[in-house]
Amino acid sequence: MKKVSVITAIMLFCIGAHAFCGFYVAKADATLFNTKSQIILVRDGERSVITMSNDFKGDVKDFAMVIPVPVVLGRNDIRVVNPALFSMLDSYSAPRMVEYWDTEPCLRYMECDDMIDVRSMSMVPIMAREESVSRKDKQYHVTVEARYDVEEYDVLILSAKESGGLKQWLIHNGYKIPEGAEEVLDPYIKNGLKFFVVKVDLEEMKARNTEYMRPLQIEFNSGKFMLPIRLGMANADGDQDMIVYAFTRQGRVECTNYRTVKLPTDRNIPAFVKEKGQFGPFYKDLFTKAYDREGRNSVFLEYAWNVTPNFGMKCDPCVGPPPMYQEFVDAGANWIDPNNPNNSPIFFTRLHVRYNRDEFPQDLFFQVTPNMEHFQGRYVVTNAATGDMSCSGGQEYLKELEMRRKNEVDELAALTGWKSPRYASYIYQYSAGIHEPKRNEGLPFIPWSTGGTVAGIMALALGFVVRRRKKALQLENA
Amino acid sequence: MEAPKQSTIPSRIPVIDARYFQIIYLGSFLLLGTFILNWDTLLPKVMVVLGTCMVTQLAFIKVGKAHESSWMSSLITALGLCLLFRANDLNTLAFASVLSISSKFFFRIRGKHLFNPANLGIIGALLITQDGWISPGQWGSSVIFLFIMGALGSILLFRVGRLDTTMAFLIAFFVLEYCRTVLYLGWSMDVLIHKFSSGSFILFAFFMITDPKTTPDHPWARKIWAVSIAVLAFIMSTWAYIHTAPIWALFLITPLTAVFDLLWKSERFRWLKERNLNPI
Repeated sequence: MKKVSVITAIMLFCIGAHAFCGFYVAKADATLFNTKSQIILVRDGERSVITMSNDFKGDVKDFAMVIPVPVVLGRNDIRVVNPALFSMLDSYSAPRMVEYWDTEPCLRYMECDDMIDVRSMSMVPIMAREESVSRKDKQYHVTVEARYDVEEYDVLILSAKESGGLKQWLIHNGYKIPEGAEEVLDPYIKNGLKFFVVKVDLEEMKARNTEYMRPLQIEFNSGKFMLPIRLGMANADGDQDMIVYAFTRQGRVECTNYRTVKLPTDRNIPAFVKEKGQFGPFYKDLFTKAYDREGRNSVFLEYAWNVTPNFGMKCDPCVGPPPMYQEFVDAGANWIDPNNPNNSPIFFTRLHVRYNRDEFPQDLFFQVTPNMEHFQGRYVVTNAATGDMSCSGGQEYLKELEMRRKNEVDELAALTGWKSPRYASYIYQYSAGIHEPKRNEGLPFIPWSTGGTVAGIMALALGFVVRRRKKALQLENA
Repeated sequence: MEAPKQSTIPSRIPVIDARYFQIIYLGSFLLLGTFILNWDTLLPKVMVVLGTCMVTQLAFIKVGKAHESSWMSSLITALGLCLLFRANDLNTLAFASVLSISSKFFFRIRGKHLFNPANLGIIGALLITQDGWISPGQWGSSVIFLFIMGALGSILLFRVGRLDTTMAFLIAFFVLEYCRTVLYLGWSMDVLIHKFSSGSFILFAFFMITDPKTTPDHPWARKIWAVSIAVLAFIMSTWAYIHTAPIWALFLITPLTAVFDLLWKSERFRWLKERNLNPI
């Protein structure tokens, strides 16, 4: 049956606070738990722009963050961006539910009035913290390479000679270092990485009259195209989810040291999944099952599309207005030129990785590929027609509907593991309307199956009698 | 210099050419990747690579008087391309295929290939078309796949006498990575193990660098040659951050095979069918 209209909805996990590539260090005993982070990653040649949306939940004065970076960043390499950028990219690229309506099989004339309704849930970032530092501390072999005031943040770029000194320096300056951080700091120090240490300027926050901290963006040139997730595991409890929104000129971004796999997509699922609050848990369980099935050590592709402003269709269906010039520039894609749209190619890749210490011993390394194949996580709900079903087409439709719903429930179980005896009522919801002829109208009170058998036996018997009669006549004539 | 020993080519089942094994193994890996690991191995792309390689080879058999059994080598090259190389455009795949097979006939020194055919095809297409790529993470690090790959690769290499090349490469690379990753940087062993459990890396070590037509003839020359690839690949991956470093290292080192063959002379490898028809 054909679609009549389309409704899309996007989902998001609503998981609380999180960490990203760095780790949070709490000065007081703030409750910290890391579950989800969002990163915008722009890569153009050797230039990387990383924007981090951190959902630190706690008192802002307790916030501090340490991120390894390959070079000493200049003041102009550090910015804050509007948090709406994340919610925009998130809602635009998130896996979507598409809703179709079957046509009424017994109506001859049907107006097809396509419309799109978009629903989305967004995440609100929060963060926090504060502190003071000395220029150089020979005792700890830690050098403060640079110090900047960046809007509501105080930023230090540190270099160290050994992890013990860096740890001691951080503790001495009031940072609380999570267990296990030292063993990870050491390899980063020896690999020549610097440390981007961020805390909150409380005065500035007061002046801004808000507790919401905006995402930080850093920019640098380096051959390394990676996210140092190992440091983020230092204060993480269990699995962490990270969404990466990657933008390049050429095509998809993929992971080079873990498998990048596509999520199951374009699957027909039962209509009850669209009920309020069901799509979120559905996608969450779908992701968990896919994560388990792929060995718990893969990176998942959720969206990939050429989003060049003048490219045309960027999703099917779109769940929101696509990001345009200003959003791309804000994200760090500085090659985008509104005056020259034909020379502003940009490809959007959304990756979702659930990582933990055991399954992801290495940091995430990426590469830009020329792969331009489009992909989106898309789950289809089809609403049944509910009009008059008395015509033969209607009866046929109801039988098909029953079969289709069985398949949808099987698909749901395969995707999410959801199984319930209650789903039988969904499958057979309209089966009562099927008026199958139960009796043989030619032979009253005899069911068709029995009638057919009896008729067959009678035909055979008649044939036998006729044949005997013919033979008898032939003998008589002879 | 001492007279080189004749290379020992195990021939317990001499009636079967080792290339049959390789075709079956690589074909199985392609099916495994497509159906178990859900690669984007689209049938038209596979058909273009297989078709182009076979047609090109056929042309050289007819025109260039290549050995008739060389269709097996071209099928191996085609499967290697299907396993390693990705591209948007079918023309890019066709280009890589023609380049791979042609290289066997155009780039020759003393009867041996100057480049590994699939390797040259991939590098050439990467540099010229800008449309192709290699996905080093596509195999993941599943222990089962690695075991299957390693076991099958070992059987094959034992038959063609090139297990030494793989072992020299793996050992050299492991030692270098161990020294840097564990001893110097201080990462725990699981980081190193994860690096080495990459399916792409194992496939490369067992099935790409061991092509008897591009490896040096003398066993010791082969070992040194393999170690050179390991050292170069290590440098390229560590300091130039090239994720596909072994492929590039092989491309750069393979032409030196001719030099190794001049320095260390030994019996030339021939496939079983070639030996049957053209005894050494």
